Amino acid sequence: MKYKFLFVLILIFNQLNAQLNNDLYNLENRIKFANFLYQEKDYIRAIDEFKFILNQTESDTLRFRFANSFLKLNRYEEASENFKTLFLGSLSNEAKLFFFKSNFLKNDFNFFKKLTENKNYIPEKYENEISRLNSISYFLDNEKLPPQETLLKPFDDSLQTKLYFFYQMKKNPPTKNPLQAAAFSALIPGAGKIYTGEISDGIISFIATSLSLYLSINNFQHNHQTRGWIFAGLTSFFYGGNVYGSYVSAKKYNENSKLKIQNEIKNFFRESNYFLPQIEF
Amino acid sequence: MVKKLKLCLIINLLFLPIYAQTSVDEVYSSAEKLFENKNYFNAITEYKRAQFFDNENKYTFDSNYKIGLCYKYGGFYENAIRYFSNASKYCKTIDDDFELKIQMIRVNILRKTTQNAFQLLHQLEKDSSFQNKKDEIYYWKGWAYIFNDDWKNAELNFAKSSFGKELYLLSKKVNNQKLSVTFAKVISYILPGSGQIYAGNYLSGLLSFAWNIIAGYFTINSFLQNRAFDGIIIGELVWLRFYKGNVENAEKYSEQKNLLITNNALKFLQEEYKGLIP
Repeated sequence: MKYKFLFVLILIFNQLNAQLNNDLYNLENRIKFANFLYQEKDYIRAIDEFKFILNQTESDTLRFRFANSFLKLNRYEEASENFKTLFLGSLSNEAKLFFFKSNFLKNDFNFFKKLTENKNYIPEKYENEISRLNSISYFLDNEKLPPQETLLKPFDDSLQTKLYFFYQMKKNPPTKNPLQAAAFSALIPGAGKIYTGEISDGIISFIATSLSLYLSINNFQHNHQTRGWIFAGLTSFFYGGNVYGSYVSAKKYNENSKLKIQNEIKNFFRESNYFLPQIEF
Repeated sequence: MVKKLKLCLIINLLFLPIYAQTSVDEVYSSAEKLFENKNYFNAITEYKRAQFFDNENKYTFDSNYKIGLCYKYGGFYENAIRYFSNASKYCKTIDDDFELKIQMIRVNILRKTTQNAFQLLHQLEKDSSFQNKKDEIYYWKGWAYIFNDDWKNAELNFAKSSFGKELYLLSKKVNNQKLSVTFAKVISYILPGSGQIYAGNYLSGLLSFAWNIIAGYFTINSFLQNRAFDGIIIGELVWLRFYKGNVENAEKYSEQKNLLITNNALKFLQEEYKGLIP
């Protein structure tokens, strides 16, 4: 009788235990599934699972993954908030680094620079990485550049030449003087356009202005007053348009030049992952 | 007695995977309910959960297939193709394989990567196992041609499919209504304005004709009066401009007309057509 009772008890206990263990919505299984979604890069679903898990229990690794999922989805504000909650935990250094990364990627560089002033936030282990991000923020925004030595200091020697080139290009981008371009075109029609690199436009302007001027003079010489005045008007129109066009062309050149350099710098840092280490937990 | 106790424990342990599989069954069935209710986002989560814990691979094919469908309905075509490809590794029957390939073709049609759709259709056409599925193959080929704006070939393929009758008639109608852009340009070269009239823009055609006559008259008149320079200038700056503009307009208006015709047909397919759509 005693043994029979024990059998039944073991049977019931085993079944209950098995059912509890195999409840796919229990905490352990949810963690496994959340990690699977995270590894599969299905961050949007991983966030839902992590959120549920973190309401039940706290884990630095899971919180880090939760925050990083937001970062991967470009939801920087939520990423930053969650990394901040890990500042006092076991992953403090990495969380601080990723906190800075989230704020850096927001593209609000003024706010980012203010954050870097708070020394409590700077992780000892990744101090150099944060300094690099700070330097990069100067390269990417339109604020006044600090001295070259200060800006390039956190980077490796192998990068100095490239970054020096970017520094010079950003500080003194190749420009064309709009007034000079207009003056060139006033002296020789089309010359201003050629000066700004629009060679074919310059040649066409020169031909159109010269031809209409010739026609105007020729018609006046043959006493065709009306046609003479028509071509004179056309000449003035071409001439004036060309002088103004050269001025605009120089301005356009300067804008394009700045934009081109800015894009080149942006792509360089993005492709280098902003010189941040690859960290996964 | 101890032996019996051990036996009891072993039996219990043997039953453990059954309990586990029951849970997977429940998750899968809840995913199915979400799918039926068109809650595709949560359905994907549950299908993925069932798949992740399905140690026996009981639902691997179905869950991948359904995830693919959810992504397709949600407009995430890249993911849909990925999951259909995953499912294709676990096909149990030739019908499953065919259905999957057709789904991939449909997704490729929807995301306008019609070259991929044609490639898959060509493979199916050549495969002897699908000889009895020709009707469907031609049907989807017709659809791929529609999305490729090739209504002539769409008509030919729908004609070969027994359930593509309505679409055959539609593509035939579109083909009959569509204008020949080349013809419009050629007649505009011969008689300025005629291409625009052919495209239904009568006023523009007549104006173009009049401008060309006037400019042509002034050009020829200048040459006849030995004013060669005036003739060249008027011919170059005025007549040639109108003549060129007339040909360009003929092309533009006939293309616009063709776009209107195809857009109307596509609107019908989107809003009123009751048959299978990609």
